[in-house]
Amino acid sequence: MYKKTYLFILSLLVIGQFNLKGYSFPQLEEFVAKHSGKPVNCAMCHANDAGPTGNDLGQLGHMTVAQMAKVNIARLAMQPGQNVDSPILNRFGNHIVETVGMQKLITLIAQPQDLATALGNKSDLDGDGIPDSEEYLDGTDPLNRFNGDPLKLFKINLSRNLIVICIISGALGLLVFGLAQVIQGFKIIEDLEAKEVKDKT
Amino acid sequence: MTANNKVFSFLQERFPVEKLFIFELFEHKVVPVHKASWGYYTGGLTFLFFVIQVITGIFLLFYYEPTISDANLSVENLALNINGGFFIHNLHTWSSSLMILCGMIHFLATFAMKAFEKPREFTWITGILLLGVTFTLGFTGYLLPWNQIAVNATKVGLQSVQSVGQLLPGVLAQIPKTIVTTFQGGDEVGQPTLSRFYVLHVVFLPLAVLLIVSVHLLLVQLHGISKGSDEIPKRFEKFFPEFILKDFIAWSIAFLMVFILAVGLPFEAFLPYPLLEPFNALGATPAGIKPEWYFYFVYYPLELLPFPVLVILSLIVMGILIFTPWIFKQTSRKVLTYIALAMGLYLFTVTVFGQQIYSMIKPGGG
Repeated sequence: MYKKTYLFILSLLVIGQFNLKGYSFPQLEEFVAKHSGKPVNCAMCHANDAGPTGNDLGQLGHMTVAQMAKVNIARLAMQPGQNVDSPILNRFGNHIVETVGMQKLITLIAQPQDLATALGNKSDLDGDGIPDSEEYLDGTDPLNRFNGDPLKLFKINLSRNLIVICIISGALGLLVFGLAQVIQGFKIIEDLEAKEVKDKT
Repeated sequence: MTANNKVFSFLQERFPVEKLFIFELFEHKVVPVHKASWGYYTGGLTFLFFVIQVITGIFLLFYYEPTISDANLSVENLALNINGGFFIHNLHTWSSSLMILCGMIHFLATFAMKAFEKPREFTWITGILLLGVTFTLGFTGYLLPWNQIAVNATKVGLQSVQSVGQLLPGVLAQIPKTIVTTFQGGDEVGQPTLSRFYVLHVVFLPLAVLLIVSVHLLLVQLHGISKGSDEIPKRFEKFFPEFILKDFIAWSIAFLMVFILAVGLPFEAFLPYPLLEPFNALGATPAGIKPEWYFYFVYYPLELLPFPVLVILSLIVMGILIFTPWIFKQTSRKVLTYIALAMGLYLFTVTVFGQQIYSMIKPGGG
């Protein structure tokens, strides 16, 4: 199995050297769009939102020789745990290859839902509190801490900022209490003055 | 009575300046207590959110750069690298939506309470103007982050205005195009558009709100709080200290709510991430471009109805809104309440279920 996959990748690599054809996984994107019901694009894993094929920034046609070498290293990262820094991928794309390895990633094309399990729950690249694997399934940006499932983000941020919210609630309560006392004070003075006027007359 | 006296009497009745004394505010101003009294708090809440907008907006000005090359980057920099930057930005965004929501509720409540009846016709008209300016503030502010949804939604909005020209005869047909070109600053949405929208959003429109709100509040003070009910209210509470204290409490609760939202829920979490990417003039328009939620009541009919029908309907509605004090002069509050409820139901349904309704009528669209 390993040998076959290696030959497959190698052949892609050779072809890639000549025509710079993109090597992407649109099946994953299609699955995420269907699963989440949200519009997604290649920017979830790639440096360019139109994917790796093309001549724009972050695409194969825009690569220098040194960058192309990095792309090739990533393509040959068969096993998990290898250091990957492909310029056609973003941090999440590189993280997938590092965590899963190219060999398994190719097999996951047929079962894209299993990529979430393969990624595990530990990694959270944007630090928003939602694991990358969940962001993948939710169709949200794993590299933007302000983009995520609204309910999950709300719960996480509430628990993170509970002390601040308590302090603000207390401050507002004290402010209203203070204002009530001031207003009552004015009222008392007003009543006393009215009584004085009444007594004099 | 001579014509001069009639005019003077008309103005005196509508602008009773003797009530401007602070003594009036503290001693004589009363608020009727009845089952719709909650409506009296909605105007103050709208104003609170406007104040939050102004304060947070000033902070945002420190970092925002109104150029098409840097606008998106400056918003990103503010959110990621500036202490409290994301909170201020999110507070600004949430309070803008809440300002419009409260403004709409205030509009429906004052309509149902017949708060526009003589001598409060001008209070109503200034309120309608304020609502219009508030929507324009929302529209102009939407473009400023210069991301995919901002630019594309603005394009759609401006194109809709320009399309009105097709329905007008002769020279009039050019007017919408001239208006759009003036605001756009050219044939396409670009740097001149961003500059114009920026100036409108941070200078002209806030000043317009301040000016109109001053007149609106002055008129509220001159005429006092409307009775708001067909029956004679059983009880009145003094504006000072009773009502004002309750108003403070309502403001505090509203502030706490918007604070929690700003801390806990990024507004952009509701948008798919491809729409938040920086605008790319050469790239394809991403799917799911829509205006902000508070324009859905116009957007979905625009997608579903023939354009001329929508334009005629809009003109009729605008005419009715401005002339409401005279059109509904004889209408009872009970009937007005039913009309307000129907309007509220329409706004709620289109805003919350607009997409589902649209998909049902036009499967595969939008």
